[in-house]
Amino acid sequence: MTAVLPRRRPAAAYRRARGSTGFLEWVAIHSIALALGLMFLLPLVFVCLTAVMSDRQALTAELWPRQWQWANFVTVFEKAPLLTYLGNSLLYSGVATAGMLVSSVPAAYALARLRWRGRNLAFLAVVAAMMLPPQVVAVPLYLLWARLDLTGTVWPLVIPYLLGDFFSIFLLRQFFLTIPRDYVDAARADGCSEAGVLLRVIVPMARPGIAAAALFSFLYTWNDYFGPLLYTAERPESWTLSVALASFRGMHRVEWNLTMAATVLVMLPALVLFLVAQKTFVKGITFTGVKG
Amino acid sequence: MLTPSLPAPTATKPRQPPAPRTLTAGERWRLRAPLLPALVFAIALTQVPFLLTLYYSVQSQNLLRPGSKEFVGLANYGKVFTDELFRNAVFNTVTLTASTVILSMLLGIGLAVLLDKKFLGRSVVRTLLITPFLVMPAAAALLWKTSMFNPVFGLVNWMLSPFGVDNVDWASRYPMPAIVGVLVWQWTPFMMLIVLAGLQSQSPEVLEAAKVDGANAWQTFRRVTLPHLRQFIELAILLGSIFIVQTFDAIFMITQGGPGQATTNLPYFIYQQAFRAFDVGEAAAAGVIVVVATITIAMVALRVISNLFTEESA
Repeated sequence: MTAVLPRRRPAAAYRRARGSTGFLEWVAIHSIALALGLMFLLPLVFVCLTAVMSDRQALTAELWPRQWQWANFVTVFEKAPLLTYLGNSLLYSGVATAGMLVSSVPAAYALARLRWRGRNLAFLAVVAAMMLPPQVVAVPLYLLWARLDLTGTVWPLVIPYLLGDFFSIFLLRQFFLTIPRDYVDAARADGCSEAGVLLRVIVPMARPGIAAAALFSFLYTWNDYFGPLLYTAERPESWTLSVALASFRGMHRVEWNLTMAATVLVMLPALVLFLVAQKTFVKGITFTGVKG
Repeated sequence: MLTPSLPAPTATKPRQPPAPRTLTAGERWRLRAPLLPALVFAIALTQVPFLLTLYYSVQSQNLLRPGSKEFVGLANYGKVFTDELFRNAVFNTVTLTASTVILSMLLGIGLAVLLDKKFLGRSVVRTLLITPFLVMPAAAALLWKTSMFNPVFGLVNWMLSPFGVDNVDWASRYPMPAIVGVLVWQWTPFMMLIVLAGLQSQSPEVLEAAKVDGANAWQTFRRVTLPHLRQFIELAILLGSIFIVQTFDAIFMITQGGPGQATTNLPYFIYQQAFRAFDVGEAAAAGVIVVVATITIAMVALRVISNLFTEESA
């Protein structure tokens, strides 16, 4: 298991590796890294620059703002009920992620460490459902939610997570498989119930995996566009940030620079969350598929 | 050293020792009884949408004609298979997914190898490089459509202007490469992250040993690093493919599946069948075909890939 953890290489090995061509290699690496990095970052730099431009300059080919209008970030809140959308997004992502943990952790455990008839079939079903594009099941589900009179709210998006999410079940199952069976067997031999094994043995040991699954589902729901578009488009007060952003210009007659300012604001929460949890995320994901 | 982990059900084949004999079957059932029904329920319930899809796929139903529902057996599947638009969508999905996965994986490996070296500001560069993956796809699509691909003031034309490119409307002249470009931009960071984790888990002793044996940098990479990375690459390809096959936002917002049907992939085709043509039966049948095909390809492809790697590194 330790094989996957990042390891510092001794500095001496680096110096030896460089040798006489060291300087040229250093320059080459820096310039290639810089070029590739710029290529990937240019669109984002452009967003940030446009976000602080004046309305008139935003639709020109000029890249550098002539005057820095920081007030755009305030104006955008006045032009559109961003806080309402933010609340909806947080409700969707927060409740869905919490619900996913409650529902999917036990299901993943059942697939990983309980022996029962039809387990492989159930796992195949989870994998199949995971690969099913959401558009496929949208119609039957929409009709179902319409009958329950819940369309126009975020609940049709959240409730499925309370019942279990395939991708999370898959990730968590893979992670649980990396936990040595002996721990589970020892707890069972001590007379621990399965629920006890799950809560006292598996969950504490699988923290990175659980964190990665939670982060993945938060990102997915935060960025989800199709689901909110389908269920909340009819009632603007239920919109999430993704739907609001996509229809920003048309609906609110908001200028391009303000749209970009909103884009920056919408990006920030996911960015901050990820940067804080980056290591856990990578560890969780790679453990999941690569058993050391 | 490391066992390959396939998503295929075969991976679940018990290689574990038999259950502890200290408990009788009755006792074991008593211990797991409070847990198991809940689990079976959770798994069964998550399958409801899929079962509904199966059900709808053998019905003829058009939402525009209420009461038109009737059992038609496999007729919808026949319709889907003979539908030229469906075949076009399959072709587009394969093109889109394969090119995106391959390009973003190659770029991701390149970036990961660079980030594995020590240089000034490495952690800042790494952090910044991850950002495209975190940008909301809808926002990314909006951004690419308006500020990157715009024929008049778009950044792509501006960057290519020294090479004689002028006022090209990328989204309508080269729709597929444009979409692939956006997706590669979004997915390269993900591939990079996972490959980087693989690179950093290599033991320095092995690399040192390769050097002592007289291997040059390329030989070391090809014979030592690449086989080690195999599983990380497979994992990244698998997870990436699952999401890239389902691409909807970028197509919906940038090209609307067009021009014509040039960028209509399966999710967008199904969306059109269900929400524009209201043919629920055919949409459901197409969905079932997608799932079966995806699972088959995932299983076959991963086998093939792992076989290739083992032969090369032998």
